[in-house]
Amino acid sequence: MDDNVLSAMIFVSVGLGALGLIAFLWGLKSGQFDDSSKFLDGALHDSEDDLNVAKKMQDKKENFKKENK
Amino acid sequence: MQTSNNETVCSHCHLSFDVNVMFTEKLDTKLLHFCCKGCQSVYHLLQDEGLESFYEKVGKKTLHPIDKIDDNLSKFDLDGFEKKYISKSDGLSKVSLVIEGIHCSACVWLNERVLNECDGIIETNINYTNHKASITWDPSTIKLSEIIKKIRSIGYDAHAYDSKLQEERVNKTRRDYYSRLLVGIFCTMNIMWIAIAQYAGYFTGMKSNVKDILNFAEFALATPALFYTGWYYFKGAFYGLKNRMINMDFLIISGTSLTYLYSIYASFTGNAEVYFESVTMIITFIFAGKYLEILSKKNAADSLDSLNSSVPSEVTVIRNNQRSVIDTTQVKVGDFLEVKPGDKIAIDGVLRANNASFDESSISGESVPIYKHIGDNITSGTVCLDAQIIYEASTDLSKSMLQNIITIVEESLLKKPKMEILANEISGYFSLMVLAMAILTFAGWFVMGVGFENSFIIAISVIVIACPCALGLATPVATLVGISMAAKKKILFKSSSSLETMAKATTIVLDKTGTITNGSPNVVSYEKFTSFDINLLYSLVQTSTHPVSKAICLYLEKNEESCENYFLDEIKNIEARGIRAQFKGQDLLGGNHVLFKDEKIKLSINPNNTQFIFAIDGEIACLIELNDQVKIGAKQTIEQLKHLGLELIMCTGDNDFVANKVAHEVGIQRVHSSMMPKDKALLVKELQESNKIVITVGDGINDALALSRSNVSISMGNSSDLTVKVSDVIFLNNKITTLYEAITLSKSVYTTIKQNLVFSLLYNLITISFAVLGYIIPVVAAISMSLSSLVVVGNSLRIKRIFKNG
Repeated sequence: MDDNVLSAMIFVSVGLGALGLIAFLWGLKSGQFDDSSKFLDGALHDSEDDLNVAKKMQDKKENFKKENK
Repeated sequence: MQTSNNETVCSHCHLSFDVNVMFTEKLDTKLLHFCCKGCQSVYHLLQDEGLESFYEKVGKKTLHPIDKIDDNLSKFDLDGFEKKYISKSDGLSKVSLVIEGIHCSACVWLNERVLNECDGIIETNINYTNHKASITWDPSTIKLSEIIKKIRSIGYDAHAYDSKLQEERVNKTRRDYYSRLLVGIFCTMNIMWIAIAQYAGYFTGMKSNVKDILNFAEFALATPALFYTGWYYFKGAFYGLKNRMINMDFLIISGTSLTYLYSIYASFTGNAEVYFESVTMIITFIFAGKYLEILSKKNAADSLDSLNSSVPSEVTVIRNNQRSVIDTTQVKVGDFLEVKPGDKIAIDGVLRANNASFDESSISGESVPIYKHIGDNITSGTVCLDAQIIYEASTDLSKSMLQNIITIVEESLLKKPKMEILANEISGYFSLMVLAMAILTFAGWFVMGVGFENSFIIAISVIVIACPCALGLATPVATLVGISMAAKKKILFKSSSSLETMAKATTIVLDKTGTITNGSPNVVSYEKFTSFDINLLYSLVQTSTHPVSKAICLYLEKNEESCENYFLDEIKNIEARGIRAQFKGQDLLGGNHVLFKDEKIKLSINPNNTQFIFAIDGEIACLIELNDQVKIGAKQTIEQLKHLGLELIMCTGDNDFVANKVAHEVGIQRVHSSMMPKDKALLVKELQESNKIVITVGDGINDALALSRSNVSISMGNSSDLTVKVSDVIFLNNKITTLYEAITLSKSVYTTIKQNLVFSLLYNLITISFAVLGYIIPVVAAISMSLSSLVVVGNSLRIKRIFKNG
């Protein structure tokens, strides 16, 4: 019984830590930490307008992909 | 928005000007003022596009007024350009640009918005920190030249850079190393608390099934550390073996993987202790040192990118009265090339049109610009200062001065004396010795008849004990602390081995211009003969980009309460002499004594090359003396270095008189003047032949050869990129005082390394002999192994304390 508890505790605690590590590695790989001031300064220029532009850009990208298929 | 008397801010750039010189217009109910047509057009463009919220985002910050827009866009659509800078995939093109003129985050926002509104642009990403942009677009809808035009139309400029060359590669390795290091640290931290439970269990007793669970957890954590983080060492050891060399990587790998295998064996048999925690700790610690090295390389690449545009890769050639931009490699002898003021000459040639001044400081070290006439030779690497010139290429690229130096430097980089080879050899012998000893131990115990398994365990314990835990950490941890301390003091080490070499150096060769002195003229005295409006002088020197004018401009801005820029008429640059302009009927004249001689104005002062004389309506108003001043703290630094027993030599391309004057001022006895780049390199070679270890400090292209030959090369952060490339160490703050700090730091790191090595060798000697005799209790081995590493780490951290106090 105490064996199971011990292994479960080690597994859960190390596993939780590993989850954090994996999440961080993913962020690192996708370039989220390349530009240190983007998230701070970029937040200053956030508005409904900018959101619309972002959506438009995404549409443009998808349209281009569709046309080329 | 009125400021003081009659001044109004421009509606676009927010700079204040006299209201009379501004364009005024009424839009709806608002009264708008513009300082120039450029600002006006950008303002209207933003209104039309519905981007006027830009001005809210900018707030009260001022922008640069929009200068004349350079209309030379055709080069962006040339084939050569496309091959070099544009990458294509899935029918989309992608380019990396550096955007100039960005002041704040609002500028980034504006650029992104304007580009995003463009048809055909699929993705824009501008970095807020270094203003580099990557743009993806559909080449069938829009051309790159149109994109650049868009950026220029809102008042910014963009030039392409080859991201594949350095940045991307360095960024990728850095990211890769960072993830590996993180995994290593994660595993070490977790394995340590499990290991502590095991140590405790050893002394207080632990059930074997609990021990098995802990063993398995340690195994699970040690595996990624060894194979993911340690992958780099596996690769290094493999390449070493391929070249028939046993290197440090091999030692680390053989030590750690044997310990790892032994620990797996021990956890199955259950009659011995496991050493998984040692495996992860060694790998992680050593890898952290490696990571720090990569990090400083990335910093070097960052500073390199900003300098990159200084070596011209394309030139404007005139063939059949047609101007076209071509790659420097395509220039033939006899081509006529056009150069704008402020541009660097790419290819040697003969001046054919317009006399002009040339800044030759990067080649000769001469701080005063040289005036050249039609028919004079001009050298690549120099900068044309004040006129648009046309010259005839007398060689092709490969035979040009600049290219020659680059080639020689690149060749000599391969021949650089390398200290670490020796260190590698020693560690190679050490690991061979340990392996041999382990085999002998096994054979000895087996012959004595203790059985295969027991002799095997003893032999393995010899390797585990000898596993270069402390020895492997001795150098990297000390250099790791040293490099990070150095980075705090703005010293960048490109490789850790230079720390060691620097500590052993006996001789320092210093360049004059830019190293001991500031490298540009500075105002030393200012004498007024009559009282006059200082703004007249300020406005006059503002019109020129000559170093002397710039220096005076800076001086006035610093020492006068307020400087105002008047609008001068009929501004004329009199080459190599001075400037003349008109202001409200007054005739302004400023320049050297030759100019006044030409104008037949009598001077009551001794003529001298470093003077600037200013006259209003022919009457001399003031005299300014300029000088290339010695950097702050230079004298003190040189004294301190002498105290350390170092031999100091000054070496410059400048003439005897100037060289001796500076040398005397800072207290250097040995001076070599009028040295060509090759002479400097020769001097370094001669010094090395008389068994001296030479540090060279320099900043220009003229020092690059000498730098590449010396044992340790140091360059200033504002050096030419070639110099930065060949240097082992870079002083980011451009201060000469950093030299003393760097040398004392390297000396204390070297002492620490020696202490660490002596300690770990002694430790190994004692413990190996116990292990060979079979006396080692496994858990004592594990604890003492961690302990010895801690001693080494602690000793290394002392460097930090010494430097905080000193």
